[in-house]
Amino acid sequence: MTAKLFGEVRDWVPRERRFQVLVLANLCAVIARELRAGAWPSLADVSLFRSLAGTERPEPTVEDAEGAAREAAAELGAAIRRGELDDSLPEVLAGLRQHVRRKLEVARPGYADH
Amino acid sequence: MGSHGPRVTAEPPEPRAVREVLAEVGEDPGDVELAPIEGGASRQTFVVAAAGEPRFVLRREPHEGMSFAPLELELRAIAAADLAGVAVVRTVAAEPAGGRFGPGAGYLMEFVAGTSLAPRVLRREELSVARERLPGQLASALAQIHSVDSAAVDGLAGGERDPALEGCELWERELTEIGEPLPAVEAGLRWLRLNPPPPPPAIRLVHGDFRLGNFIVDGHGLAAVIDWELCHLGDPAEDIGWLTIRSWRFGNDDWPVAGLAEMEPFLDAYEAAGGVRPDAERLRWWEAMGNVKWAVICARQAHDHLTDARPSTELASLGRRICEPEWDLLELLAEA
Repeated sequence: MTAKLFGEVRDWVPRERRFQVLVLANLCAVIARELRAGAWPSLADVSLFRSLAGTERPEPTVEDAEGAAREAAAELGAAIRRGELDDSLPEVLAGLRQHVRRKLEVARPGYADH
Repeated sequence: MGSHGPRVTAEPPEPRAVREVLAEVGEDPGDVELAPIEGGASRQTFVVAAAGEPRFVLRREPHEGMSFAPLELELRAIAAADLAGVAVVRTVAAEPAGGRFGPGAGYLMEFVAGTSLAPRVLRREELSVARERLPGQLASALAQIHSVDSAAVDGLAGGERDPALEGCELWERELTEIGEPLPAVEAGLRWLRLNPPPPPPAIRLVHGDFRLGNFIVDGHGLAAVIDWELCHLGDPAEDIGWLTIRSWRFGNDDWPVAGLAEMEPFLDAYEAAGGVRPDAERLRWWEAMGNVKWAVICARQAHDHLTDARPSTELASLGRRICEPEWDLLELLAEA
Protein backbone atom coordinates (compact mmCIF):
# COMPACT_ATOMS: atom_id res chain seq x y z
CA MET A 1 0.00 0.00 0.00
CA THR A 2 2.80 2.41 0.96
CA ALA A 3 4.69 1.71 -2.25
CA LYS A 4 1.53 2.16 -4.34
CA LEU A 5 0.69 5.47 -2.70
CA PHE A 6 4.25 6.73 -2.87
CA GLY A 7 5.17 5.38 -6.30
CA GLU A 8 1.93 5.63 -8.29
CA VAL A 9 -0.86 7.63 -6.66
CA ARG A 10 1.44 10.55 -5.89
CA ASP A 11 2.14 11.00 -9.59
CA TRP A 12 -1.45 11.45 -10.70
CA VAL A 13 -3.04 13.40 -7.85
CA PRO A 14 -3.16 17.19 -8.19
CA ARG A 15 0.06 18.86 -7.08
CA GLU A 16 -1.54 20.53 -4.06
CA ARG A 17 -2.70 17.12 -2.73
CA ARG A 18 0.67 15.35 -3.01
CA PHE A 19 1.72 16.20 0.51
CA GLN A 20 -1.40 14.47 1.86
CA VAL A 21 -0.58 11.37 -0.19
CA LEU A 22 2.92 11.34 1.32
CA VAL A 23 1.45 11.64 4.82
CA LEU A 24 -0.89 8.72 4.11
CA ALA A 25 1.93 6.62 2.63
CA ASN A 26 4.03 7.25 5.72
CA LEU A 27 1.15 6.38 8.04
CA CYS A 28 0.59 3.11 6.18
CA ALA A 29 4.27 2.25 6.65
CA VAL A 30 4.06 3.03 10.38
CA ILE A 31 0.94 0.90 10.79
CA ALA A 32 2.59 -1.98 8.94
CA ARG A 33 5.56 -1.85 11.33
CA GLU A 34 3.18 -1.68 14.31
CA LEU A 35 1.38 -4.80 13.11
CA ARG A 36 4.69 -6.61 12.59
CA ALA A 37 5.93 -5.67 16.06
CA GLY A 38 2.76 -7.03 17.70
CA ALA A 39 2.41 -6.84 21.48
CA TRP A 40 6.05 -7.12 22.48
CA PRO A 41 6.82 -3.34 22.64
CA SER A 42 3.84 -2.87 25.00
CA LEU A 43 4.91 -5.84 27.14
CA ALA A 44 8.46 -4.48 27.33
CA ASP A 45 7.11 -1.04 28.26
CA VAL A 46 4.95 -2.44 31.06
CA SER A 47 7.99 -4.18 32.53
CA LEU A 48 10.18 -1.06 32.18
CA PHE A 49 7.63 1.42 33.57
CA ARG A 50 6.86 -0.77 36.59
CA SER A 51 10.54 -1.30 37.24
CA LEU A 52 11.25 2.46 37.12
CA ALA A 53 8.24 3.27 39.29
CA GLY A 54 9.04 0.47 41.75
CA THR A 55 5.64 -1.20 41.41
CA GLU A 56 4.98 -4.92 41.15
CA ARG A 57 2.02 -6.61 39.48
CA PRO A 58 1.40 -9.78 37.50
CA GLU A 59 2.52 -9.57 33.88
CA PRO A 60 -0.31 -8.72 31.49
CA THR A 61 -1.46 -11.10 28.79
CA VAL A 62 -0.74 -10.32 25.15
CA GLU A 63 -4.36 -9.22 24.76
CA ASP A 64 -4.10 -6.80 27.69
CA ALA A 65 -0.63 -5.50 26.84
CA GLU A 66 -1.58 -2.18 25.25
CA GLY A 67 -3.98 -1.15 28.01
CA ALA A 68 -1.53 -2.25 30.69
CA ALA A 69 1.27 -0.24 29.06
CA ARG A 70 -0.91 2.87 29.01
CA GLU A 71 -1.86 2.38 32.64
CA ALA A 72 1.75 1.82 33.71
CA ALA A 73 2.86 4.88 31.72
CA ALA A 74 0.24 7.00 33.48
CA GLU A 75 1.31 5.71 36.90
CA LEU A 76 4.97 6.34 36.18
CA GLY A 77 4.24 9.83 34.83
CA ALA A 78 2.19 10.71 37.90
CA ALA A 79 4.93 9.49 40.25
CA ILE A 80 7.50 11.58 38.36
CA ARG A 81 5.23 14.66 38.49
CA ARG A 82 4.75 14.25 42.26
CA GLY A 83 8.52 14.23 42.72
CA GLU A 84 8.55 10.69 44.13
CA LEU A 85 11.36 9.65 41.80
CA ASP A 86 13.56 12.75 42.10
CA ASP A 87 16.37 10.78 43.73
CA SER A 88 16.52 8.36 40.82
CA LEU A 89 15.64 10.84 38.05
CA PRO A 90 18.90 10.28 36.09
CA GLU A 91 18.20 6.53 36.06
CA VAL A 92 14.56 7.14 35.06
CA LEU A 93 15.64 9.38 32.18
CA ALA A 94 18.22 6.82 31.06
CA GLY A 95 15.73 3.94 31.32
CA LEU A 96 13.08 5.75 29.31
CA ARG A 97 15.46 5.84 26.35
CA GLN A 98 14.59 2.16 25.81
CA HIS A 99 10.88 3.03 25.63
CA VAL A 100 11.38 5.95 23.23
CA ARG A 101 13.77 3.90 21.10
CA ARG A 102 11.07 1.22 20.75
CA LYS A 103 8.58 3.86 19.58
CA LEU A 104 11.10 5.25 17.10
CA GLU A 105 11.78 1.81 15.63
CA VAL A 106 8.12 1.76 14.58
CA ALA A 107 7.50 5.43 13.80
CA ARG A 108 10.85 6.65 12.48
CA PRO A 109 13.49 3.93 12.04
CA GLY A 110 17.03 5.30 12.11
CA TYR A 111 16.16 8.53 13.93
CA ALA A 112 17.94 7.49 17.13
CA ASP A 113 21.10 6.49 15.28
CA HIS A 114 22.12 9.97 14.18
CA MET B 1 -3.81 26.19 23.88
CA GLY B 2 -5.21 23.92 21.18
CA SER B 3 -8.79 23.39 20.28
CA HIS B 4 -11.66 23.11 22.68
CA GLY B 5 -15.28 23.01 21.68
CA PRO B 6 -17.25 22.15 18.60
CA ARG B 7 -15.97 20.21 15.60
CA VAL B 8 -14.02 22.40 13.22
CA THR B 9 -14.38 22.49 9.48
CA ALA B 10 -12.13 24.33 7.06
CA GLU B 11 -14.97 25.81 5.04
CA PRO B 12 -13.71 29.21 3.93
CA PRO B 13 -15.67 32.39 4.59
CA GLU B 14 -18.04 33.59 1.86
CA PRO B 15 -16.00 35.22 -0.94
CA ARG B 16 -18.65 37.92 -1.23
CA ALA B 17 -18.21 38.82 2.45
CA VAL B 18 -14.44 38.97 2.05
CA ARG B 19 -14.75 41.25 -0.96
CA GLU B 20 -17.17 43.45 0.98
CA VAL B 21 -14.68 43.85 3.85
CA LEU B 22 -11.89 44.65 1.41
CA ALA B 23 -14.06 47.21 -0.38
CA GLU B 24 -14.72 48.98 2.90
CA VAL B 25 -11.00 49.65 3.32
CA GLY B 26 -10.61 50.75 -0.29
CA GLU B 27 -9.05 47.51 -1.51
CA ASP B 28 -11.83 46.00 -3.66
CA PRO B 29 -10.06 43.51 -5.94
CA GLY B 30 -13.21 42.37 -7.79
CA ASP B 31 -14.48 38.80 -7.50
CA VAL B 32 -12.33 36.68 -5.19
CA GLU B 33 -11.71 33.00 -4.56
CA LEU B 34 -10.46 31.50 -1.32
CA ALA B 35 -8.23 28.43 -0.99
CA PRO B 36 -7.05 26.94 2.33
CA ILE B 37 -3.36 26.79 3.30
CA GLU B 38 -2.24 24.04 5.70
CA GLY B 39 -0.36 24.98 8.85
CA GLY B 40 -0.61 27.09 12.00
CA ALA B 41 -1.08 25.76 15.51
CA SER B 42 -4.79 26.51 15.60
CA ARG B 43 -5.65 29.30 13.19
CA GLN B 44 -7.08 28.66 9.71
CA THR B 45 -5.44 30.39 6.78
CA PHE B 46 -6.75 31.03 3.26
CA VAL B 47 -5.24 32.63 0.18
CA VAL B 48 -7.57 35.22 -1.32
CA ALA B 49 -7.08 35.36 -5.09
CA ALA B 50 -8.53 37.76 -7.65
CA ALA B 51 -8.36 37.06 -11.39
CA GLY B 52 -6.26 34.00 -10.57
CA GLU B 53 -3.59 36.01 -8.73
CA PRO B 54 -3.04 35.77 -4.96
CA ARG B 55 -3.76 39.17 -3.45
CA PHE B 56 -4.43 38.74 0.27
CA VAL B 57 -4.25 36.14 3.03
CA LEU B 58 -7.11 35.60 5.47
CA ARG B 59 -6.40 34.20 8.93
CA ARG B 60 -9.15 33.34 11.38
CA GLU B 61 -9.93 31.47 14.56
CA PRO B 62 -12.06 28.42 13.71
CA HIS B 63 -14.43 29.48 16.46
CA GLU B 64 -14.38 32.04 19.25
CA GLY B 65 -11.75 31.69 21.98
CA MET B 66 -10.15 28.64 20.40
CA SER B 67 -6.56 29.78 20.11
CA PHE B 68 -3.59 30.16 22.42
CA ALA B 69 -3.76 33.96 22.24
CA PRO B 70 -6.70 36.11 21.16
CA LEU B 71 -6.44 37.19 17.56
CA GLU B 72 -6.59 40.86 18.55
CA LEU B 73 -3.47 40.31 20.65
CA GLU B 74 -1.69 38.75 17.67
CA LEU B 75 -2.51 41.87 15.64
CA ARG B 76 -1.16 44.17 18.37
CA ALA B 77 2.07 42.14 18.53
CA ILE B 78 2.48 42.28 14.74
CA ALA B 79 1.95 46.06 14.75
CA ALA B 80 4.49 46.54 17.55
CA ALA B 81 7.02 44.30 15.78
CA ASP B 82 6.47 46.29 12.58
CA LEU B 83 7.31 49.49 14.47
CA ALA B 84 10.50 47.83 15.79
CA GLY B 85 11.57 47.12 12.21
CA VAL B 86 10.73 43.41 12.00
CA ALA B 87 9.70 42.25 8.51
CA VAL B 88 6.03 41.35 9.03
CA VAL B 89 2.95 41.01 6.86
CA ARG B 90 0.81 44.10 7.27
CA THR B 91 -2.85 43.76 8.28
CA VAL B 92 -5.44 45.17 5.89
CA ALA B 93 -8.71 44.59 7.77
CA ALA B 94 -10.08 42.65 10.72
CA GLU B 95 -13.44 41.24 11.74
CA PRO B 96 -14.53 40.38 15.28
CA ALA B 97 -15.82 36.97 16.38
CA GLY B 98 -19.25 36.35 14.89
CA GLY B 99 -18.50 38.77 12.06
CA ARG B 100 -18.30 38.23 8.34
CA PHE B 101 -15.42 35.73 8.52
CA GLY B 102 -17.28 33.20 10.68
CA PRO B 103 -17.77 32.33 14.36
CA GLY B 104 -14.19 33.26 15.31
CA ALA B 105 -12.35 36.54 14.74
CA GLY B 106 -10.30 36.93 11.56
CA TYR B 107 -8.11 39.32 9.67
CA LEU B 108 -6.89 39.99 6.16
CA MET B 109 -3.23 40.57 5.39
CA GLU B 110 -1.33 41.61 2.32
CA PHE B 111 -0.08 38.68 0.23
CA VAL B 112 3.71 38.40 0.40
CA ALA B 113 5.34 36.44 -2.41
CA GLY B 114 7.76 33.67 -1.50
CA THR B 115 7.54 30.35 0.29
CA SER B 116 7.32 29.31 3.91
CA LEU B 117 7.64 25.58 3.20
CA ALA B 118 10.80 24.40 4.96
CA PRO B 119 11.90 21.74 2.42
CA ARG B 120 11.73 24.34 -0.35
CA VAL B 121 13.63 26.91 1.70
CA LEU B 122 16.35 24.37 2.49
CA ARG B 123 16.68 22.76 -0.92
CA ARG B 124 15.39 24.84 -3.84
CA GLU B 125 18.20 25.95 -6.13
CA GLU B 126 16.68 29.39 -6.71
CA LEU B 127 16.86 30.07 -2.95
CA SER B 128 20.59 29.41 -2.58
CA VAL B 129 21.39 33.11 -2.10
CA ALA B 130 18.51 33.40 0.38
CA ARG B 131 19.96 30.51 2.40
CA GLU B 132 23.28 32.32 2.74
CA ARG B 133 21.56 35.47 3.99
CA LEU B 134 18.86 33.93 6.17
CA PRO B 135 20.83 33.11 9.37
CA GLY B 136 21.99 36.73 9.74
CA GLN B 137 18.56 38.05 8.82
CA LEU B 138 16.87 35.74 11.33
CA ALA B 139 19.31 36.83 14.05
CA SER B 140 18.54 40.50 13.32
CA ALA B 141 14.79 39.89 13.21
CA LEU B 142 14.92 38.06 16.52
CA ALA B 143 16.93 40.85 18.16
CA GLN B 144 14.34 43.33 16.84
CA ILE B 145 11.46 41.26 18.22
CA HIS B 146 13.19 41.12 21.59
CA SER B 147 13.61 44.91 21.51
CA VAL B 148 9.86 45.54 21.11
CA ASP B 149 8.31 47.75 23.76
CA SER B 150 6.12 45.01 25.23
CA ALA B 151 4.17 47.57 27.28
CA ALA B 152 2.67 48.61 23.94
CA VAL B 153 1.24 45.12 23.44
CA ASP B 154 -1.59 44.99 25.93
CA GLY B 155 -2.72 41.56 27.12
CA LEU B 156 0.42 39.46 26.60
CA ALA B 157 0.47 36.33 28.76
CA GLY B 158 3.47 35.40 30.91
CA GLY B 159 6.25 37.37 32.50
CA GLU B 160 4.73 37.50 35.96
CA ARG B 161 7.19 34.97 37.41
CA ASP B 162 10.32 33.16 36.30
CA PRO B 163 9.67 32.24 32.63
CA ALA B 164 11.34 28.85 33.11
CA LEU B 165 8.89 27.94 35.86
CA GLU B 166 5.98 29.36 33.86
CA GLY B 167 7.01 27.14 30.93
CA CYS B 168 7.09 24.02 33.10
CA GLU B 169 3.66 24.78 34.51
CA LEU B 170 2.14 25.58 31.11
CA TRP B 171 3.18 22.30 29.52
CA GLU B 172 2.32 20.25 32.60
CA ARG B 173 -1.18 21.72 32.54
CA GLU B 174 -1.50 21.01 28.84
CA LEU B 175 -0.35 17.39 29.28
CA THR B 176 -2.87 16.91 32.08
CA GLU B 177 -5.66 18.29 29.92
CA ILE B 178 -4.78 16.08 26.93
CA GLY B 179 -4.61 13.01 29.15
CA GLU B 180 -2.00 11.22 27.05
CA PRO B 181 0.54 9.48 29.34
CA LEU B 182 4.04 10.47 28.19
CA PRO B 183 6.50 9.46 30.92
CA ALA B 184 9.57 10.59 28.96
CA VAL B 185 8.10 14.09 28.66
CA GLU B 186 7.13 14.04 32.34
CA ALA B 187 10.68 13.04 33.29
CA GLY B 188 12.14 15.76 31.08
CA LEU B 189 9.80 18.35 32.53
CA ARG B 190 10.72 17.25 36.04
CA TRP B 191 14.42 17.63 35.27
CA LEU B 192 13.80 21.07 33.79
CA ARG B 193 11.79 22.11 36.83
CA LEU B 194 14.58 20.98 39.16
CA ASN B 195 17.37 22.59 37.11
CA PRO B 196 16.11 25.97 35.83
CA PRO B 197 18.47 28.63 34.50
CA PRO B 198 18.83 31.83 36.55
CA PRO B 199 16.08 34.37 35.80
CA PRO B 200 16.82 36.16 32.50
CA PRO B 201 18.33 39.65 32.48
CA ALA B 202 15.04 41.00 31.12
CA ILE B 203 11.54 39.76 30.30
CA ARG B 204 10.80 40.53 26.65
CA LEU B 205 8.27 39.89 23.89
CA VAL B 206 8.84 36.33 22.67
CA HIS B 207 7.49 35.27 19.26
CA GLY B 208 6.84 31.76 20.57
CA ASP B 209 6.97 29.96 17.21
CA PHE B 210 10.08 31.42 15.57
CA ARG B 211 11.18 28.57 13.30
CA LEU B 212 11.48 27.46 9.70
CA GLY B 213 7.92 27.18 8.42
CA ASN B 214 6.98 30.54 9.90
CA PHE B 215 9.26 32.64 7.70
CA ILE B 216 8.25 33.75 4.22
CA VAL B 217 11.40 33.48 2.15
CA ASP B 218 12.04 34.88 -1.31
CA GLY B 219 15.15 35.03 -3.48
CA HIS B 220 16.63 37.76 -1.28
CA GLY B 221 16.08 35.93 2.02
CA LEU B 222 13.64 36.75 4.81
CA ALA B 223 10.54 38.51 3.47
CA ALA B 224 8.37 38.25 6.61
CA VAL B 225 8.00 36.60 10.01
CA ILE B 226 4.50 35.11 10.31
CA ASP B 227 2.31 33.11 12.74
CA TRP B 228 2.43 35.20 15.91
CA GLU B 229 -0.30 33.30 17.71
CA LEU B 230 2.04 31.89 20.38
CA CYS B 231 3.59 35.27 21.28
CA HIS B 232 3.96 36.04 24.98
CA LEU B 233 6.29 37.61 27.53
CA GLY B 234 9.29 35.54 28.51
CA ASP B 235 12.99 34.78 28.28
CA PRO B 236 14.34 35.78 24.83
CA ALA B 237 16.47 32.61 24.90
CA GLU B 238 13.21 30.66 24.51
CA ASP B 239 12.94 31.77 20.87
CA ILE B 240 16.54 30.72 20.14
CA GLY B 241 16.11 27.36 21.84
CA TRP B 242 12.92 26.69 19.86
CA LEU B 243 14.55 27.73 16.58
CA THR B 244 17.31 25.18 17.10
CA ILE B 245 15.43 21.99 18.03
CA ARG B 246 16.17 19.11 15.68
CA SER B 247 12.60 18.93 14.36
CA TRP B 248 13.01 22.38 12.80
CA ARG B 249 16.21 21.42 11.00
CA PHE B 250 14.15 19.30 8.59
CA GLY B 251 16.85 16.71 8.02
CA ASN B 252 19.84 19.12 8.05
CA ASP B 253 20.64 17.85 11.54
CA ASP B 254 24.23 19.11 11.64
CA TRP B 255 23.12 22.73 11.29
CA PRO B 256 21.42 23.72 14.54
CA VAL B 257 20.04 27.06 13.42
CA ALA B 258 17.00 26.10 11.35
CA GLY B 259 19.03 23.54 9.41
CA LEU B 260 20.97 26.44 7.92
CA ALA B 261 23.86 27.52 10.13
CA GLU B 262 26.13 26.95 13.11
CA MET B 263 25.14 28.40 16.46
CA GLU B 264 28.10 30.66 17.24
CA PRO B 265 27.93 32.86 14.10
CA PHE B 266 24.18 33.13 14.64
CA LEU B 267 24.68 34.28 18.23
CA ASP B 268 27.35 36.74 17.07
CA ALA B 269 24.85 38.24 14.62
CA TYR B 270 22.09 38.29 17.27
CA GLU B 271 24.38 40.12 19.70
CA ALA B 272 25.57 42.53 17.01
CA ALA B 273 21.93 43.39 16.29
CA GLY B 274 21.31 44.28 19.92
CA GLY B 275 20.27 40.93 21.43
CA VAL B 276 21.64 39.79 24.80
CA ARG B 277 23.73 36.67 24.13
CA PRO B 278 22.51 33.77 26.28
CA ASP B 279 25.06 31.31 27.69
CA ALA B 280 25.24 27.70 26.54
CA GLU B 281 23.50 26.28 29.61
CA ARG B 282 20.52 28.60 29.24
CA LEU B 283 20.26 27.74 25.54
CA ARG B 284 20.43 24.02 26.22
CA TRP B 285 17.66 24.37 28.83
CA TRP B 286 15.40 26.18 26.36
CA GLU B 287 16.22 23.74 23.56
CA ALA B 288 15.19 20.90 25.89
CA MET B 289 12.03 22.84 26.80
CA GLY B 290 11.42 23.34 23.08
CA ASN B 291 11.36 19.58 22.65
CA VAL B 292 8.89 19.26 25.53
CA LYS B 293 6.72 21.90 23.86
CA TRP B 294 6.79 20.19 20.46
CA ALA B 295 6.04 16.78 21.98
CA VAL B 296 3.02 18.22 23.81
CA ILE B 297 1.81 20.11 20.73
CA CYS B 298 2.04 16.88 18.69
CA ALA B 299 0.03 15.11 21.39
CA ARG B 300 -2.55 17.91 21.32
CA GLN B 301 -2.87 17.74 17.54
CA ALA B 302 -3.35 13.96 17.60
CA HIS B 303 -5.85 14.35 20.44
CA ASP B 304 -7.83 16.85 18.36
CA HIS B 305 -8.03 14.26 15.58
CA LEU B 306 -8.97 11.40 17.89
CA THR B 307 -11.70 13.40 19.64
CA ASP B 308 -13.08 14.53 16.26
CA ALA B 309 -12.49 18.20 17.14
CA ARG B 310 -10.30 18.56 14.03
CA PRO B 311 -10.39 15.35 11.97
CA SER B 312 -7.21 15.25 9.88
CA THR B 313 -4.82 12.57 8.69
CA GLU B 314 -1.96 15.03 9.16
CA LEU B 315 -2.87 15.71 12.77
CA ALA B 316 -3.20 11.96 13.34
CA SER B 317 0.27 11.40 11.92
CA LEU B 318 1.75 13.87 14.43
CA GLY B 319 0.77 11.47 17.20
CA ARG B 320 3.34 9.06 15.80
CA ARG B 321 6.01 11.76 15.80
CA ILE B 322 5.95 12.51 19.53
CA CYS B 323 8.84 10.10 19.99
CA GLU B 324 11.16 12.33 17.91
CA PRO B 325 11.23 15.31 20.32
CA GLU B 326 11.08 12.83 23.20
CA TRP B 327 14.33 11.28 21.96
CA ASP B 328 15.98 14.65 21.40
CA LEU B 329 14.91 15.74 24.89
CA LEU B 330 16.48 12.66 26.48
CA GLU B 331 19.65 13.13 24.42
CA LEU B 332 20.01 16.77 25.55
CA LEU B 333 19.45 15.90 29.20
CA ALA B 334 21.96 13.03 28.98
CA GLU B 335 24.58 15.61 28.00
CA ALA B 336 23.60 18.04 30.78
